[in-house]
Amino acid sequence: MTEQAVWDRMLEVMRETFGEDDLQVTRESSAQDVEGWDSLSHIELIVALEDAFGVRFRTGEIAGLKTIGELVGVITNRVGHGRR
Amino acid sequence: MTTLLEQRAAGRPAEAWSRLHVQARSVADYPAMRKLCHARRKLLDEGSPPAQPAQVRLALLSGATIDQLVEPLQLALEAAGIGSTIHASAYNAYAREMLDPESATVRFGPDVALVITTPANIPAWPPVMAAEAEVAAVVDEVCEYWLNLCRTLHRHARCDVVLCNFHLLPLRPLGTAGLRVPGDANRFLRTVNDALARRAPDYVHIHDVETLASLHGVYRWFDHRFWYHAKQPVSFECLVPYVRSLAQLIAALRGRAAKCLVLDLDNTLWGGVVGDDGAARLVIGEGDAGGEAFAEFQRYLLRLRERGVLLAVASKNDERNALEPFASRPEMILRREDFVAFKANWRLKSENIREIARELNIGLDALVFVDDNPAEREEVRRALPDVRVLELGDDPAEYPLQLDRSGWFEALVLSAEDKVRTSLYAADTAREQLQSESPDYGDYLRSLEQRAVIAPFEERFLDRIAQLAGKTNQFNLTTRRPSRSQLAEMMASESYLTAYVRLADRFGDNGLISVFAARGEGTDLWIELWLMSCRVFNRGVEQQLCNHVVAAAAAAGYRQLHGVYLPTAKNGIVRELYRELGFAARGSWDGADHWLLDVGRYRPVETQVTVVAEYAAREVA
Repeated sequence: MTEQAVWDRMLEVMRETFGEDDLQVTRESSAQDVEGWDSLSHIELIVALEDAFGVRFRTGEIAGLKTIGELVGVITNRVGHGRR
Repeated sequence: MTTLLEQRAAGRPAEAWSRLHVQARSVADYPAMRKLCHARRKLLDEGSPPAQPAQVRLALLSGATIDQLVEPLQLALEAAGIGSTIHASAYNAYAREMLDPESATVRFGPDVALVITTPANIPAWPPVMAAEAEVAAVVDEVCEYWLNLCRTLHRHARCDVVLCNFHLLPLRPLGTAGLRVPGDANRFLRTVNDALARRAPDYVHIHDVETLASLHGVYRWFDHRFWYHAKQPVSFECLVPYVRSLAQLIAALRGRAAKCLVLDLDNTLWGGVVGDDGAARLVIGEGDAGGEAFAEFQRYLLRLRERGVLLAVASKNDERNALEPFASRPEMILRREDFVAFKANWRLKSENIREIARELNIGLDALVFVDDNPAEREEVRRALPDVRVLELGDDPAEYPLQLDRSGWFEALVLSAEDKVRTSLYAADTAREQLQSESPDYGDYLRSLEQRAVIAPFEERFLDRIAQLAGKTNQFNLTTRRPSRSQLAEMMASESYLTAYVRLADRFGDNGLISVFAARGEGTDLWIELWLMSCRVFNRGVEQQLCNHVVAAAAAAGYRQLHGVYLPTAKNGIVRELYRELGFAARGSWDGADHWLLDVGRYRPVETQVTVVAEYAAREVA
């Protein structure tokens, strides 16, 4: 899966999770830039991403991944290594 | 989802809400539930949800993070016909909130307090190698810790309490040896859960998380990462079944559990189509995998019937064909007599279901419909949105599991009436037959040979009295839902005048069918509770009870009997009851009609009900 494909799918998941159909983000976006991204919906996002990509985040990563770019990086890395 | 949006856009919010609640009944996973919660939020932006038949003030107390449960719980409650006002206290503040008589939870005035726990809230664990007696002492300590919190809250807030028990741990450090070691954590948890169930007072209702988690699998139930990170009591994967189970338990508590199951026949109770294949070729019973699955479903339905769920049939068939398998196939587990209504014809299923509800005198929202045909399910869903329609797969082996998981027939206690309910309704059919043959209604009532026991509340009947008070909607003057313990207090109180009615007639025992309670103040007596099963409405019982109550009031020195009628969507049939009994209208205020009777001037009404001290329990014609 290419990083672009991860990016596209991820945006879909975020729009669903936060209930914002026209959500726009950049790689540098983090929780404070996105309306509705609080500590509760962060966990929902993590779970939704795990479902969508078939990956599993480690305990430390759940809180540690702050920006969208970091999330995309970890997912691309894991999907790319055939962990699906 | 599109439908919801379209309906909102078309300015039909009531339909959009109804559609949302129908979808919420069958939603299976958290992503879908979250979408429905988003849709609900958008509908809320445009106005309040439509009034639900029941309301609950619900206090949430927890040793975990429960923010993510609130919206799904509210939606699941609405889908069960209950509007809710929720007060959630802060994370881990449960002990203070339950013990302090002035806490925000107590001041909120909850009807029900929901206490959400996980094994992390166990206040003490026994040492692994502790002896049996030492472990038993810790079990007592843990149970007492939780039950004391519940008792104290109940004393302050007079509410029912739903207390979660504990799921098992996914770790087995002692291996199989744990089975023999009293201090093993899982063995200890099982003992605590067992003790909680046995020792809980009647106002504490245990939410059986242990069973629920084991059904879904503890590995899936609890995600450690989200416990460490956010103190989540249940994984997102299992959040929907958790919330639904809580909602069904609260629904049962508020008298909203379903009462009757309407079943299709072909490919629902047996494999094949009786009209085409003939009864002899139907797949049912041992010797065929599919046949075994259908038999197992019938066995599950029989268990439901035995504990008081009414079974009915709505089938598109000629009646003769539909009845044939019950007569000619000994492999059938269910018999014709197991059904209180049997509609086999070519009319719309929704019409037959409406008629079943009318015949049984229960609301459409007390009905569940099970049919393997998706087109029939959709027809019923559209025509009768109040009826709960089970989303059935195409594999009969799954039918009992799907029905069981719905939780629609949740029950908190079983009464003697539950066990014989189908025969009570069968006797009703015989009564109707008699009525249709009688020249007039008076003749019919005389020929019924009714005998009633009317007496103050007794301990042995309190379960049934609480059950009847919890679920009676139509003949119910105040629709108050006192808990068993509140009823016990009325029973024990000097200032209360209480009565129940048990009724027998020539067709058998109707059981305990009416409940009355009034509070005395000086020479005034205020009726707080008066309700009756609609099965015996209009047979003179309400008049006979009034005769009894007025005589008892006079004997106790009361001069004025005050009646209040609190209107609901369902109790229109008793709007004029007090007038008919000779009470004077005092007017309407605070949303209620107020009535007054001068006890000294009451003239007893003549009825066809003979009051007796006792009748034989099993005198069935």
